[in-house]
Amino acid sequence: MNTIDDFVTLLRDELGLPLGAEDIGRSFDQVEGWDSVHLLHLLTALEHATGRRISLPDALEAPSLEHLYAVAVGR
Amino acid sequence: MDPSDPLDTRILSVGTALPGPAVDNAALARRFGMDPLWEQWVDAFIGTRTRHLAVDIDTGRIRCSLADLAEQAGRSALESAGVAPADIDLVVMGTSTPDQLMPATVNVVADRLGIDQVPSFQLQSGCSGAVQALDVARQMLLTGRHRTALVLGGDVVARFYDLRARLASLPPSQLVNYVLFGDGAGAAVLTTAPAPDAVRLRAVHTRLVGLGREPGAVLEWFGPVDRHSERAPAAEDYKAIEQHVPVLAAEVVDTLLDELGWEREQVDHLLPPQLSGRMTQRIVRHLNLPGAAEVSCVDETGNNGNGLSFFQLERALAKLGPGGRAIGIAIESSKWIKSGFALERD
Repeated sequence: MNTIDDFVTLLRDELGLPLGAEDIGRSFDQVEGWDSVHLLHLLTALEHATGRRISLPDALEAPSLEHLYAVAVGR
Repeated sequence: MDPSDPLDTRILSVGTALPGPAVDNAALARRFGMDPLWEQWVDAFIGTRTRHLAVDIDTGRIRCSLADLAEQAGRSALESAGVAPADIDLVVMGTSTPDQLMPATVNVVADRLGIDQVPSFQLQSGCSGAVQALDVARQMLLTGRHRTALVLGGDVVARFYDLRARLASLPPSQLVNYVLFGDGAGAAVLTTAPAPDAVRLRAVHTRLVGLGREPGAVLEWFGPVDRHSERAPAAEDYKAIEQHVPVLAAEVVDTLLDELGWEREQVDHLLPPQLSGRMTQRIVRHLNLPGAAEVSCVDETGNNGNGLSFFQLERALAKLGPGGRAIGIAIESSKWIKSGFALERD
């Protein structure tokens, strides 16, 4: 996974949520249908896609999907 | 009900049974090949530290059946009460996972305990099943036709616990089952006979509230014709559960307080719904019974469905002092049943 577009694709494919690029900057409570199980699903998929371990405490600090992407790719 | 009513029901004893050793989240993570992130997530969002499973997750061997666990719990309850099998004149059991559709597990358990020539009933029930079984037993005892009842409840989810499952690719509605649930059974001896210092079952309330609501939890069963069905064997609409259970639980508290004329401050102990460690914490905050000490077990036992209320009852009986009052609540999310009971020690 190299770009934020790859990330949006992964969101749609892995989570089955109808999310677009416009959603990734929203805070999680404004993302339609978002919940803690989706978080787990996404983090697991991100670890698989990036080959990097993600720390849950770090992930929980992320206020939006965009920030979560940054945590996942180590930026 | 007038506390001096000779037909009030008393709980003489409670017995419980859990299979195998406690299985912690690290053990589940190892078995299913999940990484530390998954384990941290379970701790943070589910909050259930351990569960007991009838299946050995290392070998796949099924250690015991529901009848085995219910027999153990029932025998323990009878011994604690000092009641002989021949003194039991009514048996009621609740379960969502009977060992077989026929014979009903309740009758297998009665046979093993040496109970015969009595009415016996098995309820097909979910998380409200223990309370429903208490309700049926209590109502039948209050007719005066029966005097001492053995009430049982439990679940064994081993046939749903697919050790080959790839948790990372399961949809959320199926994934949660692997961390929420456990196996176990409980039993209580109820009587209308005088019993000094006993805990009275002052009220029991159960209501179906499923009109127009989709099931929040589904367990399928399969036969030779549809055994290869694509239907998910077990699924949870956990969002509906998160939304409705706190509200329904609060309604049950209000109903019981109204019925008994108790003030909120007069409740010493609260036995809240046991969905998971985290969910139970949220529900307790919603119930607004600040003076009540919480009596929970789910973070250790896992959610063992029809058994849970007995595990809480066992703990509550040990804590309730003279004049002590407790309220227990269970919410069934399958087709939505709210239920609760009230206890008072003489």
